[in-house]
Parts: sequence; structure tokens; C-alpha cells
Amino acid sequence: MKKNTFYLLIGCIALALLAIFWYSVEIENSILIEAAFIVGIVIIYFARLRVTDLIEDERSARITEKAAMRTMQIFWVIFCAFSIGAVIRLLDVPAFPPSFHPFFLPQHNTGFLPIRNIGYIQLGLLCLMIFLYVGFRIYYAKKFGDWETDEE
Amino acid sequence: MKNKIKVFRAMHDMTQEDLAVKIGVTRQTILAIEKGKYVPSLDLAFKIARHFGVNIEEVFTYDETPKTVPDE
Repeated sequence: MKKNTFYLLIGCIALALLAIFWYSVEIENSILIEAAFIVGIVIIYFARLRVTDLIEDERSARITEKAAMRTMQIFWVIFCAFSIGAVIRLLDVPAFPPSFHPFFLPQHNTGFLPIRNIGYIQLGLLCLMIFLYVGFRIYYAKKFGDWETDEE
Repeated sequence: MKNKIKVFRAMHDMTQEDLAVKIGVTRQTILAIEKGKYVPSLDLAFKIARHFGVNIEEVFTYDETPKTVPDE
């Protein structure tokens, strides 16, 4: 498979996932988009193995490695801080005098982090991770000599 | 790390693309090594030296002067 065909396939899969996402919202079935997303990633993985004209050498591997490491170093802190906040919102605190409170039933659905907004914020964090990765990738690609020109 | 890849390429009348294809990397990697933007692994450095039929220290020399820009 040629490199451009592979990129075209990724575009098609992204569009299909977007359509499935809206359909899942329409029929209120989250399993559909979750399964479709995993299948899409598996297809991309196996298609990537069949690309013949995409040379990956140690420099490109190093760029990927450095970008991924830096992204993780920043992202895990932000994601952990958000997740701790989300857990605080989800957990219920026993009242005094003791009364019945189901432990995992959300009681507070307002404020800075309402339960229904957690999904949106997670999606935002995912976008942040992608932007961080792309940013670091561009930085390290430039640092390790991509876009350098020569007299040759 | 300094290197004389450009000199050896000229001696063997090779382009960056030729050398890249021969040792299985991209032309951009050869260019980055020549310009000192990327320090190759020992494996790649040996491949380059062997390709020109010389010892590794004839192609690559360790630069003792401190860097102005840190690697990390």
C-alpha cells in the first residue's frame, strides 16, 4: 500500500467514526461508537503494516519517542488532577448524624465540575493531549533536522 | 560529534539519497547527521563507516567543546 492511500484510509475512517458518533448520540447507544473506535484503530494499525514507501529510521523513532515522553510528562499531571476532582464529585460523604447515602450515587450535579460535564472535559483533555503531541513532534522534528535544506 | 560524511560522500561520488538508500535510512537523516543536528547510534555510525570501508573514528570524531544548546 502506498503512503497516500494509507492517509486517505485514515481520513475515511475518521469521517466514518464521526458519522457513527452522531448516530450513537441519536440512538443513545455509546457501545456502538466505542466498538467502532477500537475497530478503526485496529484497521489503521494493520494498514500501517502494509505501507511500503514510509521509511522509519532511528531518527524518526527518536522524534516519536521524545515527543511521546514529553507529552506524557505534562499530560498525566493534568489528567490526574482532573480525575481526582472528578472522583471527589462522584463520591458521596457520609452525613452526621448517619443517614442513608448510596456511596457511588452522585448527589451534587452542579458547581465547577458537574457530573454531566466530565465527558466533555475528558474529550477536551484528549484534544489537549493530541495538540501537545503534535507540538512536541514538530519541535523535536525541527531540532533533529527535519526541514533542513542542503545545497545538494 | 563531528563527522566527515560529506567528504567521504564526495570521495565516493555519492549523493545523500544514495547513501541513505544503501544504509536504510531517510535522506533527511543523512542530512541531519552531516549538519550535526542528530547524533547517530553506534549501529548506524558503524554502518556508515563500513560502507565507506574505513574505521568509525575516521568518519566520526568526538567534539570536546561544550555545547551551547543542551541536547535535552
